[in-house]
Amino acid sequence: MKKISLLLAALALVSTASAQKLVIKGSDTLGAKLVPTLAEEYKAKNPGVSFEIAAEGSTTGIAAIIDGTAQIGMSSRRAKTTEVSAAQAKGVTMNPIIVAYDGIAIIVNANCPVKNLNKRQVEQIFAGDITDWSAVGGPAGKISIYTRNTSSGTYSDFKDLAMKKRDYASSSQKMAGNEQITSEVGKNPNGIGYVGLAYIHDAGIKVVSIEGLVPDKASVLSKKYPYARPTFYYTNGEPTGEAAKFIEFTLSDEGQKICEKIGFVSIR
Amino acid sequence: MKFSLLKKSLGFTASLFISSAALLAQDSGPLIDLLVKKGVVSDQEAEVLRVELQKDFAVNSSAGKLNLSSSLSEFKLSGDIRMRHQIETQAPSTATGSSVVTNERVRERFRFRFNGDVLLQKGWGAGFALETGQAADSGNQTFGGAAGSGSGNDDYSIFLARAYVSYNPNLNWSFTAGKFKQPLYTTDLVWDADINPQGLTETYKYFIGSKDTFEIRALQNIMEDRNESTVGLLGRDAWLFAQQAVYTHYFGKDLLNSVILAPGFSKYNQANIGFSANENTFNGPTRGLSLMTFAGEVNMANVNGAGTAFKLYWDSAINNDADVRVNEVYGLSKTRWKSDRSAWLAGVGYSYGTGKVQGDYSAKLDYRSIGLGSLDVNTSDSDFAFGFLNQAGYKLALSYNVTDFTNFNVTYFHTSDIQKNLTYSLAARDHTQLLQLDLVVKF
Repeated sequence: MKKISLLLAALALVSTASAQKLVIKGSDTLGAKLVPTLAEEYKAKNPGVSFEIAAEGSTTGIAAIIDGTAQIGMSSRRAKTTEVSAAQAKGVTMNPIIVAYDGIAIIVNANCPVKNLNKRQVEQIFAGDITDWSAVGGPAGKISIYTRNTSSGTYSDFKDLAMKKRDYASSSQKMAGNEQITSEVGKNPNGIGYVGLAYIHDAGIKVVSIEGLVPDKASVLSKKYPYARPTFYYTNGEPTGEAAKFIEFTLSDEGQKICEKIGFVSIR
Repeated sequence: MKFSLLKKSLGFTASLFISSAALLAQDSGPLIDLLVKKGVVSDQEAEVLRVELQKDFAVNSSAGKLNLSSSLSEFKLSGDIRMRHQIETQAPSTATGSSVVTNERVRERFRFRFNGDVLLQKGWGAGFALETGQAADSGNQTFGGAAGSGSGNDDYSIFLARAYVSYNPNLNWSFTAGKFKQPLYTTDLVWDADINPQGLTETYKYFIGSKDTFEIRALQNIMEDRNESTVGLLGRDAWLFAQQAVYTHYFGKDLLNSVILAPGFSKYNQANIGFSANENTFNGPTRGLSLMTFAGEVNMANVNGAGTAFKLYWDSAINNDADVRVNEVYGLSKTRWKSDRSAWLAGVGYSYGTGKVQGDYSAKLDYRSIGLGSLDVNTSDSDFAFGFLNQAGYKLALSYNVTDFTNFNVTYFHTSDIQKNLTYSLAARDHTQLLQLDLVVKF
């Protein structure tokens, strides 16, 4: 009898331990650097909590909330109407929480002489209307476009913010994450791409200003930078348990300082 | 948490906004942005409001009735409808002398295709394609020629042309099972572009430098399923195994020019094919087909200003077992007929634009020769010499984009026999001509 009691107690401990696991899926913009850093800090204060973080794009984060396969969905874009509909059909209530602000920076190779573009030029480059650097004040050379893949919230946001919802040029190359884009643009003298603020200091690239504005705290918060956007956690209804505590930590002064340190703009 | 109260109050506000028309939800983005700008609501309140409006829109409009799987990353529907005016000549071979019969025919034809391709999470995908026409090598139907009746205003059948599942675990590997688009790099000399093989295909892609790639592609194509309870060849499934290496190298200024080299090898197992609905098909043993292939192209960009391109392309096949194919499978006399083991194609092309924008155009001209023992008529193009072996000639293809989504195409084939007075059924043409005038609308 005593053995059975011990076994039950052990099982209870195991189940308690597994209840402390927080599954977070979605955006690469948030999930490659920021959320793992937040998770490390949170774990340091809350030993016994474990995290499973999968950063495969905002679409996967929102889908994970709809499917119930994650407690928090990371997204660098708003949920689409079709996603809210799908959630509703499954009895899931999409609950958006702004985590931090971001600006989608246009990056080129560090050796590219082009320093500034206007919004029309950005649209024309990424839509494939302008195919040569000479058309925007650079040396002659075919522009190589690097975009995120279709699961990405940044892919979708950029179409809305910068391209009047037009399709990307058929020649554009789709990358799995921000770091892949900075890597490719850093290697290709004719490359152009876009990344979140957390990635603009990567080697071999530089940020191009848009009509004289660079994405920084002031231009993003004032929304003067044309490609500024909020980033989100999504939950199914009101967050509860460990998810609620982690979100509270993210929104706290300490959490927001981490956001700033990584390169995002604090919501405060 | 504080979100609860906030949400309820905003939900009420939202209901005031949208009580008259759910459609307003779709147009309320700028209004919410303005409320944020004026400081009436915070960014966080605005986000909750947006979701409330979206939910209401979902309930009160057709958008809410569309319940797609949340595992979908992308769902693409596409297709095209082609109207064709076709003029053809098929002069049959005669045992002696020249053909005096030309068998001229004019047909008004159409083809409808509808494709669905989905990208799922974790590298999985799936898709389907529907089209008019059961033959693997053609989706065409002839107006006034509906299968089974052939007259009046009878309707036409729709067939399943593709149904596949794919898995791409990373950028290097790709696996597909089912009935899918032909995965090999080739021209219509060896593979008719309409034919969707079935079975399995695998691709490994190795990236070299900034743009170059080296790929290994493999195809296991089941050509016919047989009941294994039957003893011998008639009870064995027929499989075609094809392997290919594809090297793509970019060169020149800004790496805009490219060269593709694609050697390959394909072979059947020892089996028997019974029947297919292709234009010209071989029903019988799969013996004697062991093909070494080599295809490729050289693309030169901006040859006449930005957006223009010049292309040299080629394809070739040598059947190592041509003697077996011609003498034993086709039953043709070794002393009277040459096995003629090679098929080849060489062509030039010029294009302005990518063929996707109004005003784009392209022109291609190639010459090809298809020896008697060289190719498998069950996979080679059904338009060139109507799929017959022992023919040489040229193909001219012109295309013009009337709009971004509408093409006007002219294609002309002219062929004549290589070995004269050969009346064997797979090679029974003295000469052929085919003119196709197409209007294609894509969606």
